[in-house]
Amino acid sequence: MNTLMKRKSLLIGVVLLLVLSVSPVAGAYDIPGVTGPAFSLTTGKGHITTGDGNSVYMWMYGVQGGTAQYPGPTLIVNQGATVTINLTNTLPVPVSLVVDGIAVTATAVSGTALPGVLTKEVPADNGATTVQYQFTASQPGTYLYHSGTNPPLQVEMGLLGVIIVRPSGFGPAPNRTAYGDADSAYIHEKLFLLTDMDIRVHDAVQKGNYTNIDFTDYRDVYWFINGRTLPDTLSAAGAPWLKYQPYDALVLMNPGQTILYRMVNASRDPHPMHTHGNHHHVIGRQARFLSAGAGADLSNNAFTTVVYPGDTVDAIMTWTGAGIGWDIVGHGDDVDNPPLGFSTGGAPGPEDIDNNNNGVFDTCAAQTLEPWEDPADHCKLFPLKLPGAQDLTFGQFYGGSPFLGALGALPPGKGGFNPWGGFFFMQHSHNEKELTNNNIFPGGMATFLVVIAPSTLIVE
Amino acid sequence: MKKERIIIQAFLLVLIAFGIHPAWAHVSFQCPCLDDPAAQNVVKANGNIECNIGARNIACKHISAGDGFALMADRTAAEPSELYIFGFHDVTYLYPPNGVYATKAEADAAVQGDGLLAAETSAPTINASETQEFYLTLSTVPMVMRPDLFDSHTVHFHGFPNAATVFDGEPMVTFGVNQGASLTYYYNLAGRGGTYLYHCHFEATEHMQMGMLGNLFIRVAKDTGVAPNRFAYNDTDNSTRFDVDFPVSVISFDPRFHDADQSIQPLPFADMLDTYPLFNGRGYPDTINPNFLPVPQQKIDERAARGFTTDPVTHSSQKLPSKITATAGQKILIRLSSVATVDLYTISAGGLPMQIVGKDAVIFRGRGAAGGLPLYQTVNSVNIGGGESYDLIIDTAGIAAGTYFLYSTNLNELTNEFQEFGGMMTEIVIQ
Repeated sequence: MNTLMKRKSLLIGVVLLLVLSVSPVAGAYDIPGVTGPAFSLTTGKGHITTGDGNSVYMWMYGVQGGTAQYPGPTLIVNQGATVTINLTNTLPVPVSLVVDGIAVTATAVSGTALPGVLTKEVPADNGATTVQYQFTASQPGTYLYHSGTNPPLQVEMGLLGVIIVRPSGFGPAPNRTAYGDADSAYIHEKLFLLTDMDIRVHDAVQKGNYTNIDFTDYRDVYWFINGRTLPDTLSAAGAPWLKYQPYDALVLMNPGQTILYRMVNASRDPHPMHTHGNHHHVIGRQARFLSAGAGADLSNNAFTTVVYPGDTVDAIMTWTGAGIGWDIVGHGDDVDNPPLGFSTGGAPGPEDIDNNNNGVFDTCAAQTLEPWEDPADHCKLFPLKLPGAQDLTFGQFYGGSPFLGALGALPPGKGGFNPWGGFFFMQHSHNEKELTNNNIFPGGMATFLVVIAPSTLIVE
Repeated sequence: MKKERIIIQAFLLVLIAFGIHPAWAHVSFQCPCLDDPAAQNVVKANGNIECNIGARNIACKHISAGDGFALMADRTAAEPSELYIFGFHDVTYLYPPNGVYATKAEADAAVQGDGLLAAETSAPTINASETQEFYLTLSTVPMVMRPDLFDSHTVHFHGFPNAATVFDGEPMVTFGVNQGASLTYYYNLAGRGGTYLYHCHFEATEHMQMGMLGNLFIRVAKDTGVAPNRFAYNDTDNSTRFDVDFPVSVISFDPRFHDADQSIQPLPFADMLDTYPLFNGRGYPDTINPNFLPVPQQKIDERAARGFTTDPVTHSSQKLPSKITATAGQKILIRLSSVATVDLYTISAGGLPMQIVGKDAVIFRGRGAAGGLPLYQTVNSVNIGGGESYDLIIDTAGIAAGTYFLYSTNLNELTNEFQEFGGMMTEIVIQ
């Protein structure tokens, strides 16, 4: 592999991590989007950026008066609401909007709608016609909306988005639930909207060569989460250099917290989504709670869940490091001088853990457990010796120490993207082919979950 | 291109001549069974070195990682069909007790030579128990056919619950192991019984397509290891009981990708087209060959060119058959996992119904709990994506003796490249 290219692309990734800490909103975070029940959308065009530096022509939905975006705005409504989406069109082709799993009625509120096939369409009249799409949000869950007009082309071109229906009685953070049941409770929430792309289609559309578009030899070369490829998935939400791609996919949580993943597949292929770090708990599929009546009694645990085209999956994940067999915080270890070089490390000092600031290392026995910590592992020392720095090739997301919340020395130029000493866990499609950006590895349908030591405030 | 390779090789020879290369080698097998004087009952079992230290049960394994060759099932005398691969190789057999060498130091010194071009696919099967702590050492050897590659390797224990990043083997978040070096991974297996899989995660798309993939299963505490008291999970109703178990790893190779890698060409990631669908690294009929496959001739020749002899048994690249045999009345557990990098596969047992009792190393019941509502399904086929695992039980009670087949129902995958009727298929023989 071309590691030079790899480094270059990952360099960009780090910049975004730094930017993340500029917009602090403390505490639990929700999926960003537009709240309803009344929405005004329009369509627009523009070029998005891919992780290898390419730019690709797109057709996109956007909020009326705002910027078109890929994916379209995440529409957030409450259960029971009558949802209206007024759509105008500035593209050179008619467009429309359908929601998988929900019957939507369409009427022209101004101008004249085209009859369409799947639903009524907004003609290519530069905004003159407004068609209103209306439905009742009867079932909480995660839904995919997309253009119902020539969808093979228009969804490929970017006309898609997600609708989230909050359950009745949806509480303020951190008392969130996905389905109203305590078994669907979570603290943080993240969207994984999965899409793919054949750039030849986009080039042909940009040049107006519609006759050159051939889906019989469809060849996808980019794979996206929330409209971005790795490493852009890690850039801050709303990063100004990603004008049309406002949604990030970096996942942050403290140990013991829970995160709800809403996974949606709007691409042509199934994607086996693998969560490093822990199993995820699948509690909902296609906007239905996996229940036979007693909470999530039909849920299951998985380390990989295949999300099929058009499918939506709601899964809850947590991480505590329980049962790891050693003290993950390193309460008794010399955490800033981890046992590299096959040495056993030094003796711990006040720079390691000194909660009472008396200049002396707090012995393990004097330290209290973290609330999420496995008591069976408390004070157990790191089980073996790590090799020396000359024996290892360090990644950018390593903080230099195996212990949570600790940093250690690294060779010059190594690490650096993990100022918290957090644990990075890759969350990605296990169709490994999809971890590339137009034949450049790494990239594609991948992002990271960062478990951050509890002393670090989560900002989003 | 060939000229460049010669120059690179010449450059490396110069380095070696000046004694630089040996200074890189740090083979170190950290195994309490061999290191701790308090270790008792040290034995070789389940492909591991196992022992007790006080109340602790320990298992250790040592694997190397590098390149090599594998035999595809469409080989003929005229066309040997040897595919260039990356892979892991089991070097535990070098170590005491009853190893090739009497001492650990001697075995350590032999690892780099033994592991040269010794890649196996599928990788050595990892079989341990949740009553054990598992020490897995990875030693990376030079990439003989690609001396320009300074790639490191890792082991990703895929699916390990509540993992620590330091032992997760994803090199962007921690580190890869340089050529000539060793890293020991530590896994406390308590409460983690089930069917997993493992693979290298360094430049994962390339290294997995190239073959660094293997079976990994953890026997549960309830499993006594002796039929009829064998269980896939710690159930409360004996519903996961089995008599015999077989690991089956779904793998697929694109020969054009492997050739491009060997000849130092740009790698065609987006154009990957797997035309060698395999079980456990073999296409039918190699899948039903109960023996280790022969050593590829290129492996013998290239090792010889570097002064190493090749053992016809321990240097086989494909050691794991997938022929499933049972006596009528027995329950068969198939530990099915997929490490394919491109496609999903549908696997059927033909006329034999299979019951899904586990998925992703968790009992297939509500909330993943032994007491949860059973989600067990009896199926004719199971669809499996890359990175998934299923525990499937076939109850042969009342089934007529005979030969049945486990195969991909995407029938175009019953091929070895251009050779028809091969590929992702094996036999289930009920006696």
